[in-house]
Amino acid sequence: MKRLSRPGEGEILLLTASRLLDGRIVWLGEGEHWRESIAEATRFTYEDAGAALERALAEAEQKEVVAVYEVVAKDTQPPEPVTTREAIRAHGPSVHPDFSYDHAPVREKESAL
Amino acid sequence: MTQPASRSVGHYQYEERDRAFLQERINEFEGQVRRRLSGELSEEEFKPLRLMNGVYLQLHAYMLRVAIPYGVLDSRQLHKLADVAAKYDRNYGHFTTRQNIQFNWIALKDVPTILRELAEVDMHAIQTSGNCIRNVTSDEFAGAAKDELMDPRIHAEIVRQWSTLHPEFTFLPRKFKIAISGSPEDRVAARFHDIGLLARPSENGPLFRLFVGGGLGRTPVVGQELFDSVKEEDLIATLEAVLRVYNAFGRRDNLYKARIKILVQTIGLEAFRKAVEEELARMDRAAYRLTPEHVAQIRARFALPDLKAPADASDVLEQHKKADPAFARWVASNTHPHQDEGHICAVISLKTPGDIPGDVTSEQMHGLADLAERHSFGEVRVTHLQNLVFGHVRKDQLHELWQGLKALGLAAPNVGLISDIVSCPGLDYCNLANARSLPLAQKLGARFGDAALQAEIGALSIHMSGCINACGHHHVGNIGLLGVDKRGAETYQILLGGDAGENAAIGGILGPSFAEDEAVDAVARIVEFYLGQRQKGETFSAMLKRCGLKAFKEVAYETV
Repeated sequence: MKRLSRPGEGEILLLTASRLLDGRIVWLGEGEHWRESIAEATRFTYEDAGAALERALAEAEQKEVVAVYEVVAKDTQPPEPVTTREAIRAHGPSVHPDFSYDHAPVREKESAL
Repeated sequence: MTQPASRSVGHYQYEERDRAFLQERINEFEGQVRRRLSGELSEEEFKPLRLMNGVYLQLHAYMLRVAIPYGVLDSRQLHKLADVAAKYDRNYGHFTTRQNIQFNWIALKDVPTILRELAEVDMHAIQTSGNCIRNVTSDEFAGAAKDELMDPRIHAEIVRQWSTLHPEFTFLPRKFKIAISGSPEDRVAARFHDIGLLARPSENGPLFRLFVGGGLGRTPVVGQELFDSVKEEDLIATLEAVLRVYNAFGRRDNLYKARIKILVQTIGLEAFRKAVEEELARMDRAAYRLTPEHVAQIRARFALPDLKAPADASDVLEQHKKADPAFARWVASNTHPHQDEGHICAVISLKTPGDIPGDVTSEQMHGLADLAERHSFGEVRVTHLQNLVFGHVRKDQLHELWQGLKALGLAAPNVGLISDIVSCPGLDYCNLANARSLPLAQKLGARFGDAALQAEIGALSIHMSGCINACGHHHVGNIGLLGVDKRGAETYQILLGGDAGENAAIGGILGPSFAEDEAVDAVARIVEFYLGQRQKGETFSAMLKRCGLKAFKEVAYETV
């Protein structure tokens, strides 16, 4: 298994995935349910994240998600991914913020799970 | 032979068996999606199946890449793509550097339905991904350009049919791209394809100059001439032999060394040619012989435009140009001479300065389809430079077309000029990208958007890629930009001197990468230097050769 990213000072780890049905970005939240909003993501320390990631990977098929991995984020409210790539995943394309899921039509906001 | 149901010009007309095949293929994929969603198939098992049907998992959603064989669409197909964009995407489609279209916001559960809707207009997504022979690309002015030697679309269609679901070549070491042109001016980047074909007529039928082992990506290579004059009857046998040698000897142990260019580089052109000739000698040549009857049969599935124009069409165009300088400027940059004196090829720029290169809205697609019906026999071509072409426009009606394009916001007079920027989707959408390419393309477009400035600069290409995979073809731009991740920060490397045409060249790297805004300023200084130092009529590439990369480097880095 690949080594976990190590968060820096004031940073935490989140777990993310893509939903199988529609590819939508999701975040592992309370009760180990996959949530649509990064604000609902569970914050992990480096020490806790490894076991949580292993469980999430093992349950990915059952919970209908793919491409599960960890993301380093600032420990803010809501957490903010530190890399541009993950910020774009969380908030939508920088060239079209209006395309983000927060702005998408209601049809696409309906939970697929 | 049955008559085509529709007589749209420009592409092969499907027969019922073609349509039946598409339905079978959709049924198969629908079953695979169902089994994936039920958990019967794992992601590992499903991934190669979805890729074979053009479905990628990208940053925000699934992406569906739809094939546009040799870049030719008809108006009903464009209307359908507009419907798909509106119903299943964010109301946009993105035309790619492989003459295809991509939808970036697709749900997996919707893909079988979308494929059924596309099949209604004879479209599909087969072989738009995966390690197989991809969409065959061709000259955007095929069958129309005044400088054309022969129409390459018939043979492009023959190659498409030969390569579609070819049982031997469905799991190649890596993807395989073929381009074909019939013009002395290489408008397809033939020397940067796995196989590039340049067709020409002769007394004894068509001949094909065949380049092999070209490509961009991690290891950019200019293709080499394998054969100067492949006869038409030997075309398929020769392609088959090249693919067999590649399939047998191409590396499968290292993804980055798996393309045919690495094989040709490793064993050398002579050894590769010998292997192909040996394979040809072993083959049952009669089974692969492309007969004149077969070619005629395919040709008969193409409808030809009825090119009738009033005798004064050219005069009317000149009057319109005289009366309207903005129109005259658009004509100067966005048209190409046609074989017929009364007609002209019109290029529709999808690079309105400040907008996203290659993007069109659903409304624009519907509008373009209507304009194509009125002005170009219902035919629209996609260029590998992410623009569109109406191939056969009556000269006396060009002004009316231009007004229609203006109403759609698609009348930028910049084709071949500096703001006609080629760009991949980059990190805003793509899972592989290291940096964003679209914001930089937008900034550069806006910086050089002034029509008078662009006219003064003249022909100059900027190509932009968000990673080393080079979907934006940055190696062949006169100015190339490559997004690089430098310890988590997006930076941009500048390359100078690329050329995709007959004088094929790979751009030289200028030096260390720049931050985004610095890159825009550096490009501006490079262009300013070119304007100040060029000799009369000197192209950017010619001046680069005369002055050397070092002179440009000093200018680019002078205030950093």
